[in-house]
Amino acid sequence: MVDADPDPANPGAAPARTAAGRALKLVKPIAGLRKRGNYLYFWEKRWFFIAMAVGAGLLYMPTPEGLTQSGMIILTMSVVATILFVTEPVPLPTVALLIIIGQVMLMGIESKAVARSLMSDSVLFIMGSLMLAVAVVKQKLDTRIAWILVRMTGTKTSRIAFGIALVSGVLASFVGEHTVAAMMLPVGITLIQLTSNDPKKVRNLAAVLLFSISYGCSVAGIGTPSGGARNAIMIGYWKEFFYDPLNPETFMYLIDYVHWMMYAYPIFLIQVPFVTIILLLTFRPEYKDLSRAVVKLRAQVESQGAMKAGDWVAIGIFFLVLLGWIFGSAEYGMGTIAILGAAAFLIAGLVAWPDVNSGVNWGVVLLYAAAISLGVQMKDTGAAAWVAQNFLDILAPLGMDEGVGLWAAVSLLTTGVTNTMSNGAAVAVLGPIVLKLAVAAQESPIVIGYITAVSSAFAYLTVVGTPACTIVYASGYLKTTDFLTVGWKMVVMSTIIMLAAAGLYWPFLGT
Amino acid sequence: MNDDVEDQNINNPEEPHHARFRILVCIDGSDESYRGLRYAAKIAKGEDVDIVLCYVRPSDQGLSTGGLQMDVARGNMLEWGLELPGITYLKKGRDLLMELGNLREDWEERAFHTDITGTSLGDNKIDYTSKSGKKIVLKLKVARDVVTGILDQWELGHYDLIIIGASARWSGKGLKGFFDPAVAEKIAIHAPCSVLVARDLEIGHGHLLCTDGSEASNAMIRKDAYIASLCECPISLLSVAPDVESEINAEKAVNAARKILDDLNVNVVETLTRVGNPVDEIVETGPDYSLIVLADGGKNGLERFFVGSVAMKVMQTAHNSVMVVR
Repeated sequence: MVDADPDPANPGAAPARTAAGRALKLVKPIAGLRKRGNYLYFWEKRWFFIAMAVGAGLLYMPTPEGLTQSGMIILTMSVVATILFVTEPVPLPTVALLIIIGQVMLMGIESKAVARSLMSDSVLFIMGSLMLAVAVVKQKLDTRIAWILVRMTGTKTSRIAFGIALVSGVLASFVGEHTVAAMMLPVGITLIQLTSNDPKKVRNLAAVLLFSISYGCSVAGIGTPSGGARNAIMIGYWKEFFYDPLNPETFMYLIDYVHWMMYAYPIFLIQVPFVTIILLLTFRPEYKDLSRAVVKLRAQVESQGAMKAGDWVAIGIFFLVLLGWIFGSAEYGMGTIAILGAAAFLIAGLVAWPDVNSGVNWGVVLLYAAAISLGVQMKDTGAAAWVAQNFLDILAPLGMDEGVGLWAAVSLLTTGVTNTMSNGAAVAVLGPIVLKLAVAAQESPIVIGYITAVSSAFAYLTVVGTPACTIVYASGYLKTTDFLTVGWKMVVMSTIIMLAAAGLYWPFLGT
Repeated sequence: MNDDVEDQNINNPEEPHHARFRILVCIDGSDESYRGLRYAAKIAKGEDVDIVLCYVRPSDQGLSTGGLQMDVARGNMLEWGLELPGITYLKKGRDLLMELGNLREDWEERAFHTDITGTSLGDNKIDYTSKSGKKIVLKLKVARDVVTGILDQWELGHYDLIIIGASARWSGKGLKGFFDPAVAEKIAIHAPCSVLVARDLEIGHGHLLCTDGSEASNAMIRKDAYIASLCECPISLLSVAPDVESEINAEKAVNAARKILDDLNVNVVETLTRVGNPVDEIVETGPDYSLIVLADGGKNGLERFFVGSVAMKVMQTAHNSVMVVR
């Protein structure tokens, strides 16, 4: 119990009430709530019990032809985990714990081996980049970035929207979308509130500016490996699934930072102007010019004074981390570089450990670790290949079992899944299946992997689809329906551009 | 429920009440929630009715923000001097109550903060108390989810009435409704007290009390007589017979209800009987009134959820506001 407002025990609240009456008033409802509380518990957790019932049902079913017993178990665990990911009846890190327990108790894998499978460079990268995200947000460089942005764009709303999408995107492509969304959200809200204090008068302007942040970040998250956990997860899967140190032909599956950028960065850059056009045409902002707001923003920035030594050190560390990712990740791993960067911020005193500790949700790191471990088991048991083959058999009559048709099917599947759960979790769950699908269809696992990773960014339809969407929604200016209104247009645009890149541009890169 | 308190008041609604009637208004920034607040303000004109405005902020699970706690973004907003949405919504509610005369500048103001594990902002509330002890409370609450937060808040305050705006997700029916029922629907199902779901709530068109002559309906009539007396809302009575043969029973039901209200010296504007599907007839008649008022069928939360009741079906399909009385 947190407090007691409007304090039933406070004599001032009910001066004329008798003690007996007060006691009766308290006892009856508490008893009633306890009785109902039991039902409420089962009702709130109903999806947990449904998931468990589905899991038990699948385990008792005869194993389908072509699937091993352990493949059936891991598939069952994946189905149960997916139901729990989507419906969230229990805190999501709990799913990670259940995955670990399931691997030991249902599959009979030694606990030491399961524990070892939980930590990989991808997980180190997720952990390090989240610590870096907190450190970067704490540097309060956002006002300066905002000012540089409006100096470049001028005061026209359309140009500012484009500038926000581009700047948010460029930053997000390197440091992750959650970092940039957290930094840019106050910039967007300040510009909105300095234009008008009445939310109704700036309803469409707010939508354009805030979606410019979130969609700018989303389309950019694919740009580099450090743009999001999903990219690191896919890089990890390529290595885990196809790399053999004894076979030089498999070295192509070690995708480095620059290699990834060559594939994905142009797709991000081409999308930015389309993001702005779609937003302006969909919401048609009330104010075409934001000069009043920009003047006030300038005063706010000027009040901060010149850049301080700490600001320069922070920028320096950030660029060193970036250089480390580009030139050193092949040797040391992206995760090691990210953790080195976080350690540098802590050593320089630019961020305190309690801030890092409370800013990172460590349960999510555990969840990603378990999801990747589950994905590796999907491969090892042959379950991923079995699902891939069955999926391919469904696609064959539709003529979508090869080439552009297959790419579109994979993209559609990923877009559907990523809109119901975090994009990192979507890639962790789908990655093993689509990579085995590529093998079965005799397509390039690199191309199919990129299509999956890029499509996982098309979570424009729901608030929870991407971190950036969730963060801008917290501003209170957007409705959940806004995401659907504009999101489907974004999905169509992004899918067309990605498929065009896969068909016309990627072949020049040697896929 | 405050049965001990309510019953003595209902016996004579004109007499001063000795217990405080407490209304919990759930604010989420939507127009519907402020319409609900206006209605609460009308009920709470007297000195013996308290209003608690509550905004529930779901605690961050982290996965939807990619593992970065939402507090990092919220903290950054505060450092820019920007208010969090919940604070803005509650302040707007407070200003509305001041404008309507329910709250005055000279009331005593006290602020409280409670630390909550997992969030740096915690629970916060501002408590305004008049010289006579009337309270208006603004509460910014953190909970696992909005429904849990509102039900927890009920446990803290034992409110007599919860008012909640029908959210955009209200339309969830069938499989979609089972998968993800609207917040208002969940509250209507599980709250232990009366729940008013505000949907285009306009003040002044009166209450439409729907009775089937049962004990639960008669209890609802007495309880709504009290609420209607607080807001000086006109009362109309409706009973629906499923077929022509049962029409006489419907007439008996409205006459019995009228007698209860006559005994309480409460004026009835009109009595109506209809023949047909009760849910359809009530929903069709409802828009001429501010509120459709129904008795809860007496089922527990789980049965209400799986089996449903006329009250729940009306609440799901009505075009205007519905109050389920418990």
